[in-house]
Amino acid sequence: MSSYIEGIIMLSGINLIAVLGLSLLTGFAGLFSFGHAGFMAIGAYSAAICTTILKLPFAVGIAAGGATAAGASWLIGRATLKLKGDYFCIATLGFGEAIRLILDNFQGLGGARGWPGIPPSTTIWNILILDVIGVALLANLVRSRHGRNMIAVREEELAAQVAGIDVFKYKMLALVVSAAYAGVAGSLLAHYMTFIQPKMFSMVKSTELTIIVIFGGLGSISGSVLGAVVLTFLPELLRAVDKWRLVVYGLAVIGIMIGRPRGLMGGFELTPASLRRHFADRKEAKAAKAAQVAEDAELGKDGL
Amino acid sequence: MSDILQVRGLTKRFGGLAAVSEVDFSVREGGIAGLIGPNGAGKTTIFNLITGVYKVTAGAVTFEGKDITDTEPYKIADIGITRTFQNIRLFKNLTVFDNVLTACHASAGYGLFDSLVRTPRFRREEKVLRDKSIELLSILGLADRKDAIANGLPYGLQRRLEITRALALDPRLLLLDEPAAGMNPDETEQLMRLIADIRDRFKLSVLVIEHHMDLVMRLCEHIVVLNFGQKLADGTPDAIRGDKCVIEAYLGGGDE
Amino acid sequence: MAQFLQQMVNGLSIGSVYALMAVGYSLVYSVMNFSNFAHGGVIMFGAYFGFFGITLLKLPFPAAFVLAFVGTAILAVLIERIAYKPLRERKAPFLYFIISAMGASIFLENIIIATIGPTFRTYPDVFGRSSIALGPVAVGRLDLIMFAVSAVCLTGLVLFVEKTRMGRAIQASAYNMKAAALMGVNTDRVVMIVFAIGGMLAGIAGVFFGMKYTVYPQIGNITTKSFVAAVFGGLGSLPGAVLGSILLGIIETLVAGYLSSQFRDLIAFVILIGVLVFRPTGIMGKTTEDKA
Repeated sequence: MSSYIEGIIMLSGINLIAVLGLSLLTGFAGLFSFGHAGFMAIGAYSAAICTTILKLPFAVGIAAGGATAAGASWLIGRATLKLKGDYFCIATLGFGEAIRLILDNFQGLGGARGWPGIPPSTTIWNILILDVIGVALLANLVRSRHGRNMIAVREEELAAQVAGIDVFKYKMLALVVSAAYAGVAGSLLAHYMTFIQPKMFSMVKSTELTIIVIFGGLGSISGSVLGAVVLTFLPELLRAVDKWRLVVYGLAVIGIMIGRPRGLMGGFELTPASLRRHFADRKEAKAAKAAQVAEDAELGKDGL
Repeated sequence: MSDILQVRGLTKRFGGLAAVSEVDFSVREGGIAGLIGPNGAGKTTIFNLITGVYKVTAGAVTFEGKDITDTEPYKIADIGITRTFQNIRLFKNLTVFDNVLTACHASAGYGLFDSLVRTPRFRREEKVLRDKSIELLSILGLADRKDAIANGLPYGLQRRLEITRALALDPRLLLLDEPAAGMNPDETEQLMRLIADIRDRFKLSVLVIEHHMDLVMRLCEHIVVLNFGQKLADGTPDAIRGDKCVIEAYLGGGDE
Repeated sequence: MAQFLQQMVNGLSIGSVYALMAVGYSLVYSVMNFSNFAHGGVIMFGAYFGFFGITLLKLPFPAAFVLAFVGTAILAVLIERIAYKPLRERKAPFLYFIISAMGASIFLENIIIATIGPTFRTYPDVFGRSSIALGPVAVGRLDLIMFAVSAVCLTGLVLFVEKTRMGRAIQASAYNMKAAALMGVNTDRVVMIVFAIGGMLAGIAGVFFGMKYTVYPQIGNITTKSFVAAVFGGLGSLPGAVLGSILLGIIETLVAGYLSSQFRDLIAFVILIGVLVFRPTGIMGKTTEDKA
């Protein structure tokens, strides 16, 4: 495998972990974040501190990256999750930007110029393993009572409450888990690039993650996987028309919202069972249609 | 028989406007009580106060002898009260089965870790939840629709599903907010039998807000009449039918 | 003391331009109930319209200024028609509006990068660099004009909203769109007017930002400050947006003057988080109880 292709696979694998987290928050719990790059930044810097300054093993660095991001999200959540939708959104935006600006001004960690010399510990294998674990845990979570309660909160907050679901608690759970994913992704990114800079974690990055989730389809894990892979590869393949890429991107986002708001997969999961069901349904629909046609023909005869 | 729910001096003001003022009534254990009154009389507000959706301005709500005034809505279900909404609030994009399954959550105790790695405990308790959901759906006659998306159900069945979802929480008091709204006489008749049936089968008490006078008079053993946020009368259907105040303010108004 | 006054005056001037952005954003928020993240793109276009009006078309400044805000008003209405109206008609949840707005914002920024390029451009010096002495304080001409124009625009907006039929229709729609429609308000037109006004104010702000700093495709990012200002003052409240903006402008200038200019941008987010934690409804916002 050429190292170029391998590089893109690694990047999409790292993106995927952050996207999975955001997918839980936005697709399943219905919350919208503009600050996930901030959680990635926290993860990246914490992991880098662990491995370069404290000389701890990489695995500890990844765990620390996830944990600090989760901790930060808990603080943000406590302050803002009780507020109405847009406030949370703006708060995450403010948080993400604030993290970036703080890092910009913190010379101890390289400031705006960035922090080079992080060990290149991330390999394609540990990315793939974490991807698999990430998908498995998330799939288990959304098909448990915890996941169902999050979905209920997304669907109809008041009804969820009356059904005994502590809305705040489940929003918080979704946020913390999703920030932990972002933190892990940040840790991997830092040890893949071997160089981190606050600029890498700007609002543009947060927006990109959200767009991948939407593109893949809200409420679909397989959609998020597909989205992360396609949308990391596509820009690389489109290098030639690079400057028009984001123009098309922007239009596509509007187009999806207007034309196909549920995204690529929208709530549909790609599993053997769901595929079987899908084809069975189609067969049934075909049969029903044939029956209908026959019936119409019959009626037509009567009419004559 | 003792009272399962008592409401004393219940008052709610929005700004300067009193939506409900000084209302007293109670629901007897195992009984079906009705809450009637013209639009804007404060019926739904009372439901919102009992279930903690609104904060009470003054007064108290007691359930099974315990003060539950201003308890958070999600705790109300644990305590044993559930409700339906006037403008049906289902989990619209989920299947009928998932609507009920979600509401069954309180019957399982497995933790986050059990969810993430699917422990034996998770499998065991999930099975219990699924069986319970199927059983409820069969009792309410929705079993053959279990894979339909809630939003696509006919109106009457959506109401029925909302009641099923409420029952999934094993309530001892069920609050129904205009369950017959938008139904034809046939459906209303069916619904009436369903409510009585539910009461007997699940051994619970019911408080129902309703506009169909006919339904209320035949179904309820006790009726509370509200007007402009105040209680006008309180008694058996016969007593209400004969009450002068009620006839003047409501029944005689000719707007039913 | 003189230095303090000087900072206050500078803060007031930049705060008044923040107010132009924040009011447009807040107006849209109050009627449509979502954060219009495409507002920054409109501001950026305003800056470019003005710039090219002067340099390319060789227009005198007032004409370029008018060109800029008429252009952005049309642009804002176009964005609404294309990116939001279909969602409005479908009664889509606010999430979809925000995402669509994000798409519009990405499109606007990148169409400029793709066609005109990412370079920074400097406005020609229109007002001269000399400043006017007001007692111990020296006020730049640009600062003075920015403040004066903003004050006129904001006063005009208040009069429009309070005194005209359309203004009252906007207020009614902000209070309750459905009820307003039932009472015979043409809400579709209200939305259009609101976007036109928001776009106009954004265009004016864009020209001023372009003159004060430089013109570049990411200049629209400055709108994050208008979100902060709007939340600070109370989301959806116009007087709140003005007050929040002016306070933000003054605080920023004081921080830059007395602490470090590096903290200037950070302080906005510190304020944001502080407000959200301690008083989420902002200075002028009201707490409301949802009707179930």
